[in-house]
Amino acid sequence: MTARLRGGPLVLATPAAAGLLLFFVAPLAAFGVYSFLTGALYEVKPPFTLGNYEDVFAGNLNGKLARNSLVVGLLSATVCVAAALPMAYWLRYASGRRRTVALFLIVASFLASYLVRIYAWRSILGENGVINRALEGVGVISEPLGFLLYNRFAVTIALVHIFLSYVVLVLYAALAPLQASYLEVAQDLGAGRLQRWRRVVLPLVAAPALSAFLFVFVLSASDYVTPQFLGGTNGALLGLEVQVSFIGTGDYAYGAAIAFCMLASFVVCYALIALGLRLTRLDKVRFAT
Amino acid sequence: MSEPRVRMEQVSRRFGAVTALDELTLDIPPGELLTLLGPSGCGKTTLLRIIAGFERPSSGRIRIDGADVTSVPANRRPTNLVFQRPTLFPHLDVLGNVAFGMQVARVGKAEQRRKVAEALALVRLEGYERRRSHELSGGQMQRVALARALVNRPAVLLLDEPLSALDLKIRLEMEVELRRVHRETGATFVYVTHDQREAMALSDRIVVMDRGRVEQVGTPAEVYRRPSSVFAASFVGDANVLPVDVLEADATSALVGLGSHRRRVEARDAARGPAWLVLRPEAVRVAGAPADVGGDAPAGLVRDAAFRGTGFTYRIELTGLGVELKAETPPSSVHAVGDRVTVEWDASACWLLPRGGEDEAATPA
Amino acid sequence: MSGGRRSPLAGTFTLVGLVFLWAPLALMALFSLHATASLSFPFEGFSTRWYAQVLDSPEVRSAARNSLIVASATAVGTLVLGTLAAYGLTRSRSRLRGPLTLLFFLPITLPGLFLGVAMLVGFRRAGLSLSLLTVTIAHLVYVFPFFFMVARAALARLDPALEEMAMDLGADRFTTFRRVTLPQVWPVLVGAACLAFALSFDEFVITFFVIGPDSTLPLYVWSSLRRTIDPSINAISTLLLLFTTLLFAITVLLASWGERRRKGRTAEAPLGLVPAAVERAG
Repeated sequence: MTARLRGGPLVLATPAAAGLLLFFVAPLAAFGVYSFLTGALYEVKPPFTLGNYEDVFAGNLNGKLARNSLVVGLLSATVCVAAALPMAYWLRYASGRRRTVALFLIVASFLASYLVRIYAWRSILGENGVINRALEGVGVISEPLGFLLYNRFAVTIALVHIFLSYVVLVLYAALAPLQASYLEVAQDLGAGRLQRWRRVVLPLVAAPALSAFLFVFVLSASDYVTPQFLGGTNGALLGLEVQVSFIGTGDYAYGAAIAFCMLASFVVCYALIALGLRLTRLDKVRFAT
Repeated sequence: MSEPRVRMEQVSRRFGAVTALDELTLDIPPGELLTLLGPSGCGKTTLLRIIAGFERPSSGRIRIDGADVTSVPANRRPTNLVFQRPTLFPHLDVLGNVAFGMQVARVGKAEQRRKVAEALALVRLEGYERRRSHELSGGQMQRVALARALVNRPAVLLLDEPLSALDLKIRLEMEVELRRVHRETGATFVYVTHDQREAMALSDRIVVMDRGRVEQVGTPAEVYRRPSSVFAASFVGDANVLPVDVLEADATSALVGLGSHRRRVEARDAARGPAWLVLRPEAVRVAGAPADVGGDAPAGLVRDAAFRGTGFTYRIELTGLGVELKAETPPSSVHAVGDRVTVEWDASACWLLPRGGEDEAATPA
Repeated sequence: MSGGRRSPLAGTFTLVGLVFLWAPLALMALFSLHATASLSFPFEGFSTRWYAQVLDSPEVRSAARNSLIVASATAVGTLVLGTLAAYGLTRSRSRLRGPLTLLFFLPITLPGLFLGVAMLVGFRRAGLSLSLLTVTIAHLVYVFPFFFMVARAALARLDPALEEMAMDLGADRFTTFRRVTLPQVWPVLVGAACLAFALSFDEFVITFFVIGPDSTLPLYVWSSLRRTIDPSINAISTLLLLFTTLLFAITVLLASWGERRRKGRTAEAPLGLVPAAVERAG
């Protein structure tokens, strides 16, 4: 059988490309347009209007949700990156058996399903949950602590739990080219432990760490399941509002408008971070060997 | 005698059951370029890292300029280490790299720039301040690493096989550079290598090491011409090591027996009995067949002949002795494989070493 | 102390981190075996009743079946489309490679929420009613970048000389792919398809928007979370965790076996071409 590929091998990619264009890019474009149309029950109608965006910025609810999303997003991202750094550092330079075991545990915890974790934290933080029962049993408190659940704190903890393994693995990969000899050179030139961190390790992981930060921030701020189960009224996030618009009230145009405002702010954050990295020349750190 | 720059007193390093260094004692005077030479595993890198402060000796002391630094961590010792790979920080340019130590010590910006310029001039890389490591060649990177180590004016500069990752041609150029830098700075260098040619070309003194012990310490000429052991003889340069018997000896010479042949060689108070005769290939002269030459010269068969450009290298199997000799001759001495030849050497061009039962005969490399 | 790399502080931190990651999961698994319906201490004995309950439940079974169907379809679809796309891209020198690669990685850049609502809008516009089909399509879009990334890397790692040799011996592209490329690379691809399966099986965020009347397992768990509070959810969750871990283990084993095999077989692969050349000549 002799088959010649007309158009070259790239033609093989057509089905996949067509599928993505049809089922992803086109809907995304339509979705964009939706925010400028008028919402009706589970659909949109002309005329074009900016009313949806006015609604987004009017009133207090969205402001509060946006603040929550910002706080929760920043907090989760910061805690994830800050906690993952020492873990990734230890993993990088740990030897043999210990490293394999730890790595396995981290990757395995990465596999746990999203819903499963949310459920687990709800059980733990609740008034009848493990923490309260343990504290009561030991005698530290007589009444269960109500402030552990149904607020931003609970949402943040769960989000950190969801994303921590991923960030550890990203930073571990980022540290891979940093052989021990670089740290030895720094030490030889007079740098103590803190100096080595500040001058050698941190600059080298700056770009991957910030990219992971952004990743956790964006995903946390747009999460809707975690706030649904753990957030209560105080811990509601913007993503929840989008979900409610589409599934609950059916106001697609309004939902689309919120979604696009969120997307726009994410793009701004990304641009700021990229600019910052470019200005400090930390964006492309290439190892010579 | 002035205080040695570095003094090692009975330094040992054990890793579990393995002894990497065994009660090593050594003095290094200021301004010397000392090379630790030996095969892999002999302990030379371990010793270097102990001086640098990255390893602690299991026992013994290190003194630098008289002060005991055995328990001083690496970042506080007056030493600087140049690694085998340049290990330049990729997020800093050349200026940032060379100035790193000064930045840690919070030296002023202007002074940093001045000193960096000096250091770069020393390694002949003026104007390279803004370059990044991926824009430099291997040799240039290693020169930056050298500048980075020297700019802090360390009491001792330690170099761990810094040229082994470079191409041969660059390596030879860098040897010249290193000698020049050493001369111009007058600093004390401790150099580690397994390449004996490099060691002889660079050093003021060589420490030949094997399995954690010092085999011999001396100038390149001393180590080459008067090796103190069979190991030193065959590790430093090529050597023919022939089993002989010392039949007669006096204060200045000895009569040795090589099979049925008798030779008189220069020796100092040699002991009678079994010995090794160390003969460098370039000292061996190859002449025509025994019948033509006459006399008592050992005879043999040419097993291999190779042209070197500057002459020939022959491998000659000596008849009846079970020994193969390597000879390097001038271009005029032409012989073919299978020829019967005789070999000759001057009485002063060889060296006797005692032979115990446990030594093995070392064949030329 | 060699080079100051050892840091007991970092070690302790890592330990704390690992406990933080695993304690909730371990507790959850523990209570899946609780004899009573309580979800907290004191612990009142072991029992497998919740597992029995879950495995007997017709809703769970139907949801699990749907998840299996969708995940299998997703895995197979991704395997075919993704392999073709990766092969086409790595063997081409066209200028379109860049934009196409961007397209293929695009879904990963958006959080699931946006993917979900956008596709919901798309399906509505196209008049497609929401069903397991729409779920499968959504999963295909979501999973594609992951598979593509692995497939592209695996195909790029192959020695191009082997394929050139095959074509020099007379094999066309298709035969070359079948006899030279595929034998080297199929373990990694199947492993990546396994990964796609696992990702699809566990998917909730996007599925939530595009699902019709039939439920998938994560959807079932979600609705359970809103109603019941008893260890049956723990049981399902633990089973899900074990299942996903198993799939991941298979992926890793396949991938590493495939790599070892490929490295050892590079000398043998061309021998398969002789029959190919004979085929063509005859």
